[in-house]
Formats: sequence, structure tokens, C-alpha cells
Amino acid sequence: MKRKWFITLLALMMTTALWGCSGKSSSSAGAGGETSVLEGGAGENATELSYWTFVELHGQHFEKMLQKWNQANPDRQIKLNVTVMPYDDMHNKLSIAVQTGVGAPDISDIELGKFPDFLKDTPQLVPLNDVIDPYRDTIVKSRIDIYSKDGQNYGIPTHVGASVAFYNTEILEEAGVDYKSIVTWEDFKQAGIKVYEKTGKYMGTADTSATWQLSQLLAQQGTDFTDDQGNPQINSEAMVKALTILKDLQDNNVIATIAGGQPDTEEAYGEFNAGNYATAFMPLWQMSRYTNYMPELSGKIALAPIPVIEKGMPRSVGGGGTGTVVTKTAKDIQLAKDFLAFAKLSEDANIEIWNTLGFDPVNMDIWSKKEVTHNPENAFVKYFQNNPFDVLNDIKDEIRMIKSTSASPTINNVLCTVTLNEIFEDGKDIKQALDDAQAQILQDLK
Amino acid sequence: MKKDTAIKVSLFLLFSILCLLILIPFYAVTIASFKPGEDLVRYGLNLRFDLNVMSFDNFIYLFTGEHAYFSWFFNSLFLTVVQVALTLFVSATVAYGFSAYEFKGKNFLFICVLLIMMVPFEILLLPLYTLTYNIGLMNSYSAIILPGIAGAATIFFFRQYLSGIPKEIIAAGRVDGASEYGIYMRLILPVMKPSFAAMAILNGMNSWNNFLWPFMVLSDANKYTLPIGLKTLLTPYGNNYDLLIVGSFFSILPIFILFVAFQKYFIDGMTAGAVKG
Amino acid sequence: MIKRFLYSQKVAPYVFVLPFILVFVIFWAYPLASSFSMSFQKLTLGQEPQWVGMDNYAKLMGDGIFLKAVINSAVYMVLTLIILIPFPMLFAVLINSKFMWGREFFKSSFFFPALTSVVVAGTIFRLMFGEMEGSLINSVLGYFGIDPVKFLKGQVTGYIALVALATWRWTGVNMLYFLSGLKSIPDEYYEAASIDGATRFQKFTQITMPLLKPTTIYVLTISIYAGLAMFIESMMLWNGNNSPKNIGLTIVGYLYRQGIEKNNLGYAAAVGIVLLAITMIINLTQLTFSGMFKKED
Repeated sequence: MKRKWFITLLALMMTTALWGCSGKSSSSAGAGGETSVLEGGAGENATELSYWTFVELHGQHFEKMLQKWNQANPDRQIKLNVTVMPYDDMHNKLSIAVQTGVGAPDISDIELGKFPDFLKDTPQLVPLNDVIDPYRDTIVKSRIDIYSKDGQNYGIPTHVGASVAFYNTEILEEAGVDYKSIVTWEDFKQAGIKVYEKTGKYMGTADTSATWQLSQLLAQQGTDFTDDQGNPQINSEAMVKALTILKDLQDNNVIATIAGGQPDTEEAYGEFNAGNYATAFMPLWQMSRYTNYMPELSGKIALAPIPVIEKGMPRSVGGGGTGTVVTKTAKDIQLAKDFLAFAKLSEDANIEIWNTLGFDPVNMDIWSKKEVTHNPENAFVKYFQNNPFDVLNDIKDEIRMIKSTSASPTINNVLCTVTLNEIFEDGKDIKQALDDAQAQILQDLK
Repeated sequence: MKKDTAIKVSLFLLFSILCLLILIPFYAVTIASFKPGEDLVRYGLNLRFDLNVMSFDNFIYLFTGEHAYFSWFFNSLFLTVVQVALTLFVSATVAYGFSAYEFKGKNFLFICVLLIMMVPFEILLLPLYTLTYNIGLMNSYSAIILPGIAGAATIFFFRQYLSGIPKEIIAAGRVDGASEYGIYMRLILPVMKPSFAAMAILNGMNSWNNFLWPFMVLSDANKYTLPIGLKTLLTPYGNNYDLLIVGSFFSILPIFILFVAFQKYFIDGMTAGAVKG
Repeated sequence: MIKRFLYSQKVAPYVFVLPFILVFVIFWAYPLASSFSMSFQKLTLGQEPQWVGMDNYAKLMGDGIFLKAVINSAVYMVLTLIILIPFPMLFAVLINSKFMWGREFFKSSFFFPALTSVVVAGTIFRLMFGEMEGSLINSVLGYFGIDPVKFLKGQVTGYIALVALATWRWTGVNMLYFLSGLKSIPDEYYEAASIDGATRFQKFTQITMPLLKPTTIYVLTISIYAGLAMFIESMMLWNGNNSPKNIGLTIVGYLYRQGIEKNNLGYAAAVGIVLLAITMIINLTQLTFSGMFKKED
């Protein structure tokens, strides 16, 4: 008897589950791992294209652009089949799919850190030069270059990713610090010491699983992780100097390691939201993390240029990025290319990228369009104390770039899993750690 | 007598404490499934019972929200049912072949059954992967079901069970003029029924929780199973913890209910391999 | 004609075992053989393989990260053996004793963690071992006045988290194995020992332990395999295959990294063959020493 009762219960549960299922609609890209078809007002004859991404928000941007595309091109309408997968899994699966020619989507996002893997040997991606050409004069050249090989442009950028400082002014005011007066790392250090003494909170983070800060410090010194030939130079003097500055900050309780290892992780969002760290030095796209995951900091965050080693050094570097590509096996290559250019390079697209995603658009003309950048209804304008574009326009000519070479994924992997942990968690000698890293990277690349 | 009671009480206390330790993670998940995901990310998983932050929101989201959870759930359910049914039938058939007949190569083949149990499946991942790719089974459930369809442990268990069934049944069947297959289908399978429960549960559990191989084979999100789907929620680019924890909680529930109802078979199934050590 | 052939008593057994033969050849023997041949190739999906002789193995020997993975897997295996054999055996004996109240209840609740998928269990443990002050383990430590520990960033604490997860999931299962072993020990042995005036401890060491040997060997064998082939536990605990300083990297994790993440299938196959060799050597040695093969001679 007892058993029957349980089976009934189980059956009941399954039915409830069924009911829950039927209530699901497919109008927009939802949580991870879901495929959803975006109609975008397309008619019956629309071509269905598939699109992979690891950022749910990118799907939302495409949804808006799709609507516009289908209206403007009634004879070339598109339905977009969006699949959201986790970062690692999406890149692994895409890599296998393009290499084997089986199961690849028509369009896909590829993150900058993984992009070189897709440019090895003969890239299985379609060159996009012809659809980029009409927009070439208006967009930041370096953002196209990072997705290129031998003069062929394989990826369409999403943003500039200019690095800026995000200061939590509530904490700073409590310690009597004015972020506007921070110009050099020394200023930052003094401010941080004050903050720690007065509030017991850390001024910033010592990142163990990302190289945002390192890139910023290298760019200030006019150098890079790789030399002109693209070979790794991890134990360079500039690297030692950069890490010495950061280590000194850590030793003075100005910065400290954070749960998750860097500001762009779910654990770190929690730490920031709780007000345990006052500063993040991140590319501008970190803004969307604030609005999405740190609601309690609304109105408390101010943007500013990043401190420099010496006054006059460039104050920013492009960080991160996603190149959107068309695969060689795409159903309708020309259609995919045209749509992609429309959805990511046109002026409309760039305005949308700012409006929906909160990214600094690659079309710099937008940066000076006050009605777009200072729209009081914009969620990002509302969230932050000062207008992001005031800072962006201030550093506009100082945004450097870090090269992306075939060695980059390996460099990144070694630094972010081993070296930075050794330095900031275990206190290993900086020069030694970097020498070991260089040796490990060369060994891996063999 | 007093001494006995003292032993009894202390034993009971010891096991109660161990039991509490074991149940803590379940309790933590249950509590967490009532808290907002953001709370979890900020404070980690803990035992804080705070009615101010707890609500049914996650459960409401689970049942009415816009997500793929139930498509994963039903994929898993479908795959589990199909896989268990096929595996049981095929394995039982093979086991019957081993148990009812003497034939050339039988011993060699049976050693092969044992060999399969001796090599970690993980070593075969890559060649299986390229094989699956070459025969065009990528992204299909067949690629998940086929390699395990003649499960070594299941065959072993069934053969053990069949050795206890009198051979007279087969002889009687032949006298009645039934074919070899008729005997198996009509006479033997019904007798084997009790042994199916334990194996159904063992295979069902493995299938329901199976992760690595399906994860490698499936790339179409519409085909994801529950463990894969839950894994995809572990990304920083989306507020997914609300669904992750309540979804994990809900994925344990069906097994829990089955377990309470069919406890004996679970335990029989799990220990099936060990009895003969 | 064909029907008669298929229905004959000579052919029928082969028809019955045919599915097994097919599965064995296609999904076991062939992959295993191709694993061997792949390990001598430079192989990338979608491209023609190149024979490179022993290159992959030579490279493995000088690969520090592979060594790290082997050490991690070995340490993990040893730790699980140390914990997951004596304690479940002890629990089984205690639970089986006549002094036990609520036997069935405890049996079930010990077993229950094994029912959860690694994905779910691993995530639960990752969050429990989170480095924040408020996470379960750290809040317990905090209760005793110990500062929060970054469990998943340190080598030793990382092992603790891994072993805790394994212990939680497998104690109950191993206990059940021992319980079923205990059932096969006749009560008369103990009665006879009681008459001879043996103490409880003597009965345990003189009767229970020796007679549980077959079960112990079985548990030992599968634990060695499971320990050396562990991967998903680590993947879930570190939310990916990259742990700080590779503290959670296992042999299979490295196989996955090289084969799936970096598409070096040949090199990854060599990792697999080394794993196979290690497990075979350890288990054959173990089985020889415990006298398993003698009986069969």
C-alpha cells in the first residue's frame, strides 16, 4: 500500500513538471544552455541562422537588431536560433565543430582570449573584409586587428573595452579620500592606506585569475606580454615592475585577493556589492555587471581614468572583447555576413550596443553624440555618478592595445592559474615566478 | 544488561551524529532553495535559517519562469527510460545466452565481460569520441545509449540470477515445441522479473546522473540532460543561481522518492557486484 | 533456410550474445586499440594523422603539469583508500551488531548521498567550501575562532575538499558492500569463539577481518580505479578544468584538457595509456599480493 502511495506522488510530480514545461515561451534568450528562436517579426520565408554565444545579453542585442533588419530587408528576412553556453564549453564545442565541419553554427561569438586558437593553420572562418569596408573609417582599427590574420578580418568587434577605474565613493568618503585627486599609483597607494586605516576595507583587488591590471600596467610602460614577433616575454622588466607595484600595494593592505580571483566573477560581485572592496580597474563593460549584479551600489560608483606610474603615461588599454564570426559551413554566408555587419557595425547597432549592453561602441562617432551618451533615461547613465562618456572622451587618445597572438591563450592560462596565485597567495619571489612562467609557456608552446 | 543499554545508547548517538553530518549538505541545499541566488553568491552555502530572506520565489520561478529546466528534466527522463529499457533487455538476453548454453568461445567471451569492468571508461573517451564523430552519431542520444547497451555489471548480475533458475523450464519448453527464442521470451523473461527491479534502479540511477560522456557528445542545447543543463548555469554571465539551487534540489527529489519506495532494490542493485567479491 | 539456421540450438546462443560481441568489439576493443595507435600519432580532429613514434611519450616524461596531475590523482586515491575502507568496514560491523537501534534507517541515510549526481554534489561542496566568511565550513570554523580559509586555493585544503566530497558520497556505498560481506559469515563462528572466551576485539580481528577479505579486495580494486580516474568531482569543485596552480588537476582532467580543450588527441591518448598502465600495475600488484590469483591456479 505504502509503495502505491509513493508512485502516485511521483506521477503527480511528473505531471506538475509537465505543466511547468508547457508554460514556457520562446520569445527571448533565457538562462544558460537554452536554445531559443528569435523571430524578429520575420515572415514564413525567412532563413534560419544559428548563433552561439556565452553571454546571454548578446542575444538580447541581436534580438533588437534582428527586428530592424527584417523590417529593412523584407526579401532577406532572418530567424535567429540563439544558443547560450558556458564560456569554456562553448569554445571547446565550437573549436571541434569548425575543425570537423560538423555541427558548427552559422554565426558565433568568440572571446578574444580564445580567438587565436581559431586562427591557427587555415582558419575555418569566413573573411569579413568586404562587409567591414564601408564602416572601416569610423571604427577603432585596433579592435578589428585583434581578430585578424594576414590582412583578413575574421571577427567583428563588440566594443572598445577601454579600461577605467570604478570607485565606490561611499567608502572613499568615509575615509576622507577624493578619487579625483588620484593620478598616480603612489596617490592610489596613499589613498588606500587611509581607506584601510579608517574603514578596514580594501581599496582594490589583487587579481589572481585575470590579467586586466597587468595589461593596464604594461600598456602604461608601452609594452606587452609578447614581443614584436608575438613571442612571449613574461619575465620582462616591465612585467617585474608591474607586479612589484601591485605586490607593494598588497603588502600595504591597499589591495587584497578577492573570492573568485578577479572582479568579473560571481563571488566578486557579491564582495563588491557588500562594499568590501572600493575599487575595480576594469574595461568599461564591467558597467553592465554593476547594473545587473550589484544593485545595492547604484548611485555610489564613480568612473575615472586609471592611475599611472608616472604622469603623462597613457591611461587606458582595450580589454577583453568578443569577435563575432561567420563559419565556413554557414548556410547562407553572404546573408550572415551582411546581417552581422548591420547588427554590430552600423550606427544604429553601435547606439544599441551602448543602450542595451552598456559597452563603449567601436564606432567612436557615437562617443560625441550627446543625445545618445547623455540620455537621462539610459540605465547606465542613471546608475553611475558621473557620465561614462565624460571619462571615455577624456582618455580617448590614450587607449592602447595588448596584442593577441597565438601564444596568448597559453600565456593567459599560465598566468591566471599558476603565476599570479604564486605571487599574491603564496608570496613567491616575483622574478622567480615570472622566470618559471616563461619556461612553462615555452614548454607548452613547443 | 545495564552495560548493553549503555552500548546501545552510545552506538545510537554515534550514528546519529554521523547521520547528521551526512544530511547537512541536503539540509543546506533545501534551505538555499528558498533563498535568492544572490544571497548564496555573497555568503556561500550555509545553514542560516532566516525567514526574512526566504521565500517561494525560486519555486515559482522554477515552475513558471522562462528557462529550459523542464526540457532538460524531460530529456533526462526520456533518456533514462529508454536507456534502462534497452540495456535491461539486451543485457538479460546476453546473460541468458551465457547461462543457458554451452558453446564454443563462451569462456573467452565471459572473460571479455569481466575485462570491460576492469578498464576505466575514461580511457576510452577520446577514441569513442572520434568514433562517434566518424560514424555520424555526434549530438544524438544513440551515441549515449549504444556503448552501454550490454552493460558488463548488468550481464554479470543477470547471469548470476539465471544460474538459480532450474534448467527444467528450458527443457520443458523444448518438449512443448517452442523455439529457442520463444522459450526465452515466454518462459524465462517472466521468471526474471524480480531481478529487473534492482538492475533497473542501478542503471536508472547511473543514467539519470550520467554526465561526462553525454556532455561531450551533445552540442545541441535542446538535447541537454539535467546534469548538463545544471552545469550550464554555472557561468558568471547570467543570474542563474536562483534556478541552479532549486533545480538541483528538484533533481534529487524524484530519486529520493524512488529510493524511499524501493529501498531494498537500490541496495540489492548497488551491492550486486560485490556479493561474489 | 535462414530461419532454420538461426533457430537451431547451435546458433541460438551466438544470437543471444551477439549484442555483447558487437558492443565489445565496436565500443571497447576497437577504441582501446585505437587509443594505443593514437598515442603514437600527432592527431587533430578534422586533419590527417601523422605518425610520430614515441614523441608523445617522450614529451609526457618532461611535462611538469602532467606529473602534477599524476601526483594529484595518486594522493587523492591514497587518501580515499585510507578513509573509505577502514571506516565503512567499522560502521558496517557496528551497524550489524545486535546493539544497533534503527539499523535500516541509518543504512539508508548513509547511502543516500550516492544518489545525487556529481554535478549537483560537486556544486554543493564548492559552495560549502567557499572562501567567504559566511560559507558553511568557514562559518563553522569561525564558531571555533578560526579565520576563514581559502579552501579551494591551497593544495592541502583543496585535497580536503575533494576527499570530503568523496567521503560524503561513498561511505554509505562501501558500508553496504561490507554489510553484504558480513552476511555471508556464518554465526556459528562467532558462537564458537564466544565459547572459547574470545573478546569482541579478538572476534573482529580473528574472524570478521579475515572473512571480509574478498569484499575488502573488491572495494580496494574499484576504489583504486575510481580514485585514479577521478575528474568530474574536480571539475565541479573548481567550476572548470582550471584550478589555481593546478591543485585540482587529475590525470583524466589532463587528458580532457589536451584532447578536448586543446585538440591534441594523440598526446591525450598517450595520457590515457599511461593511466591505463598505472591502474593495471597497481591493481595487478595488489591482487597478486592479496593472493587473489593463487586460488585460481
